[in-house]
Amino acid sequence: MVAPIIDLDRVSRTYAMGGLAVHALNDVSLQVRPGEFVAIVGPSGSGKSTMMNILGCLDRPSAGRYHLAGTSVADLSDDALAHLRSRTIGFVFQSYNLLPRTSALDNVTTPLLYQNVSRRERVARATAALERLGLGDRLAHEPSELSGGQQQRVALARAIVTHPAMLLADEPTGNLDSAAGRDVMALLTELNAAGRTIVLITHDAEVATAASRQIHLRDGRIAA
Amino acid sequence: MSPLELIRLAFSRLRTSRLRAALTMLGVIIGVASVVALVGVGQGTTSNITSRLAGLGTNLLTINPTSGSSSLTLDDVTAVAAVANVAAVAPELQTSGTVAAGDKTTDTSIIGTNASYAMVRAYKVWQGTFLTTVGVEQKLRTVVLGATVADDLSLGADAIGTEVTIEGLPFEVVGILQAKGGTGFQDPDDQVMIPVGVVQKYLVGTGSIRTIGVSVASVDEMDAAKADITTLLRQRHELAATATNDFSILDQAQLLETASSIAGTLALLLGGIASISLIVGGIGIMNIMLVSVRERTREIGIRKAVGARSRDILAQFLIEALTLSLIGGLIGIVVGLGVSALIGRVAGWGFAFSPTVVAVAVLFSLAVGVVFGVWPARQAARLDPISALRWE
Repeated sequence: MVAPIIDLDRVSRTYAMGGLAVHALNDVSLQVRPGEFVAIVGPSGSGKSTMMNILGCLDRPSAGRYHLAGTSVADLSDDALAHLRSRTIGFVFQSYNLLPRTSALDNVTTPLLYQNVSRRERVARATAALERLGLGDRLAHEPSELSGGQQQRVALARAIVTHPAMLLADEPTGNLDSAAGRDVMALLTELNAAGRTIVLITHDAEVATAASRQIHLRDGRIAA
Repeated sequence: MSPLELIRLAFSRLRTSRLRAALTMLGVIIGVASVVALVGVGQGTTSNITSRLAGLGTNLLTINPTSGSSSLTLDDVTAVAAVANVAAVAPELQTSGTVAAGDKTTDTSIIGTNASYAMVRAYKVWQGTFLTTVGVEQKLRTVVLGATVADDLSLGADAIGTEVTIEGLPFEVVGILQAKGGTGFQDPDDQVMIPVGVVQKYLVGTGSIRTIGVSVASVDEMDAAKADITTLLRQRHELAATATNDFSILDQAQLLETASSIAGTLALLLGGIASISLIVGGIGIMNIMLVSVRERTREIGIRKAVGARSRDILAQFLIEALTLSLIGGLIGIVVGLGVSALIGRVAGWGFAFSPTVVAVAVLFSLAVGVVFGVWPARQAARLDPISALRWE
């Protein structure tokens, strides 16, 4: 069996809120293998966002162990974590999170900037990624000049331009109308078919049907 | 991230907010420009003073009565002339008055002196002759015009032998001096010279002399001559052994030293005042960078999410502050040099380009960028990516 890319072993995340301990994640174990398309589904308050932050190495577990691509994140410094994150994970956010007043091309080249890729290669790879997502004629457009669906596709291009092992998509269709949402889901399915691991986080059961495996979160625990 | 990429990023950022960048830079521009301009003015003044003093005459000792006393007389002049190693001695009794030629008049300094004055004060005669020993002795109403005065009265070479009036009295022009040049607090060419006896008789009505200029035979004999003259004058003025001198003897080196130290202090003071505005400019940069960090919290979160390490963010904001301060500094240098060149031209001491000042100004503006940029940049680098991403 192939080694899992995500290996959560009895992970908890506890926040102290006004002296009260809030268990946003409680004793969660989860394995995702390369090439899988997993949806993590749950209503708001179920611990989805915390899950996303932990999986994305933006946050660390309070207890338990998390191995990302075989590396234990607990042992890494912030900078090493940033490095691991930039090599392994491509993020897609609900609100796109594109850099304002920055062209689509420059948005997509940004992750490569932090991997010390040469300018020529950055532009070539970013252009290819944007063209693959049907935005070849929008390279110079700034986010404010693009529709929501187009912005999310730019964000997708930014996520895949580093050839990450895994895409982590947080409510990628949340801000889109249904047509654009279907469009984005189709792209995710296509990327998965091409071998990319995808972890989708959503509250929408219908969106989750695109995934090959669904994990239901409730009150910080995995519900069967 | 390579420094080149960071600079490119900083420039594209400055391009998107041109007005803000320009206003932020303005503080540094004004600061650096005023430092450069004032130091330039200080240096101009210093070199002007030194060159003027050097032009006053070599091997020059000047004897002045101490304030309040009027102890020096023409007999002292004669006595000093007999001291060993003294090459020439000239009394100077200065007043001011109106000189007229035809329908032109000018107000100028009138110096009563003798034939040695030109040698002692290192003037050269352009036309005619200087005052003659005989003319001085006989108190002839003859006059030698400084170049500026001749200019003001529109008198040229053909004026020798003609008549001008000084305070209403007719004088024969016997000579016109070569211009010495150099301006500032006093123009050495804006004066006329007439026999000292004439000044005493018609213009001042005093027997005492304001200044005695002594030209010493060689620089090596300056100290010896000074000592000999001191002994002689103390004897002549019948001072008791315990009494202080009622005159002072200055030599050129002393004068130069004093003047340049005063000018140097002045330049330092001006530069110090100007550097306050540079600090204010730096605070302006810090202020804008802090606002910028807050405004761009989300951008910082995005960058961290796509792989930026803390030090990438630190470097990005630091380079931005540095770019602001450095561009501001360079513009400030150009403006400052322009202003000091302009002042130099107006004041007439010319323009001295000083690479040291420019280098110091560049370093200073870089330092401003680092000092006032580090804190906002650290604030940016420390932001937690999760909360930065949620920031609206």
